Amino acid sequence: MDKEALKQKILEVFQKKASSGGKSKIYLKDLQREIPEANPRDIKNAANELVKEGKLEYFSTGSTVMYGLPGVGMGLEAGMDKPEE
Amino acid sequence: MGEVKKHDTPLLDELKSGPWPSFVDDIYNYAEKHKKQAGFDILGQMELSYKNKETHWKHGGIVGVFGYGGGVIGRYSDQQEKFPAIWAFHTVRVNQPAAKWYHTSALRKLCDLWDHRGSGIMNFHGSTGDIILLGTVTEQLEYIFYDLTHQLKMDLGGSGSNLRTPECCVGMSRCEWSCIDTQDIIYELTMQFQDELHRPAFPYKFKIKVSGCPNDCVAAIARADFSIIGTWRDDIKIDQEAVRAYVGGELKPNAGAHSDRDWGPFDIKKEVIDLCPTKCMFWDEGQKKLYINNRECNRCMHCINVMPEALRPGDDRGATILMGAKAPILEGAQLSTVIVPFMKLEPPYDNLKNLIYKVWDYWMENGKNRERLGETIQRIGLNRFIVDVLGLKPIPQHVREPRSNPYIFWKEEEVEGGWTRDVAEFRRRHPA
Repeated sequence: MDKEALKQKILEVFQKKASSGGKSKIYLKDLQREIPEANPRDIKNAANELVKEGKLEYFSTGSTVMYGLPGVGMGLEAGMDKPEE
Repeated sequence: MGEVKKHDTPLLDELKSGPWPSFVDDIYNYAEKHKKQAGFDILGQMELSYKNKETHWKHGGIVGVFGYGGGVIGRYSDQQEKFPAIWAFHTVRVNQPAAKWYHTSALRKLCDLWDHRGSGIMNFHGSTGDIILLGTVTEQLEYIFYDLTHQLKMDLGGSGSNLRTPECCVGMSRCEWSCIDTQDIIYELTMQFQDELHRPAFPYKFKIKVSGCPNDCVAAIARADFSIIGTWRDDIKIDQEAVRAYVGGELKPNAGAHSDRDWGPFDIKKEVIDLCPTKCMFWDEGQKKLYINNRECNRCMHCINVMPEALRPGDDRGATILMGAKAPILEGAQLSTVIVPFMKLEPPYDNLKNLIYKVWDYWMENGKNRERLGETIQRIGLNRFIVDVLGLKPIPQHVREPRSNPYIFWKEEEVEGGWTRDVAEFRRRHPA
């Protein structure tokens, strides 16, 4: 699978999950499970490129990292309203 | 700069009364001197946590700067109205130089940076080895990253499901026992694995640590998924003259490290020979000569530590590669287990890098979410990991306790007659 096709497939996985009310943030492993025909390293590279392009975003507690669509589910600073200066 | 507001902290103030230096004093002193509200707010929130016996931090969110999937750990207060200066209090991990050598000017610049863009609170060093800059707000992250990389020539460390910042002991820079150039190895691995260090690639964290000798000063065996520990495979070098000097009391054992008390005259039998875990040493009192059966030595380093002038690691040096250490999360704590008993390590360390890639390829595909390498090995079995995954030949060094527990598992094709042979017939010839 070429990189652009893989990136498209990754986005489809996220969109499908988001539209069916599934998880808005998933682990890299979950992505690998959804696209078993691709090499895990290629999936990682493609997902990281999508983050760079702004089509996905990371979400982390510090111990692990999840991926999600920007604006879907809890945002990077959801509920973290910065007080007025 | 506006007025700063101090909170009442009666519980924390008690910590100032102990015999040790207190972080409460340190943070108050700093906050008062620099008029930093964040310092007062962090102590205020901690006081509240002590009172309520629960945390007031929320985890999750920001993970890095543009292009990076790690190095910044998002922290937010759930008491933002009470403590507005710490509404966000992100942690920044900074990749430390190998063996943590700094020029003082670099440290001054780093402190200036954190005075200006952060809370001023930092931690030298975190458990993984990074410099930890504690407490900044989201808007400052890109500026901090720019200053770190462009002015200080420092980079962010690893967090999340990334390769964590590789770490090593002082190695050859200060230690005569170092069998490998730990700093060079760490530098090489850090440069080689930049992608894995900065972008999440794995099911969970992955740590690489390098110790120069089996004393294992960075505790690689206890903490790293991939532990590299310097060792030698020829004989311990003995200077019999120096051994006699230790026995005669002319040289202080342990290089004088325990000389604060009178432990009586040095007794080589009691303090060295009898403590050898494999009983491979002999002191001939008549000849005044020390013998070591090097084939039995398991590199515990005790004799070398006690008599450093008389005994030294051999000359044929390399490293033992162990894998799978972890703290208790899914399963209990585990020490690393020997996978490659001896590997020559010379630049550019291609043999080492290839082994790491092989492990990663398997773990990335087969490891479960939040499963450390040690747990994957435990799940599939050490024998399968050694033979099927890494393609190595099982050897006695893979047996955890070869002297007390010699059990190994055989494959069917390795056993004459396989699993289907007629046991009754076998027992007729060989009664149990």
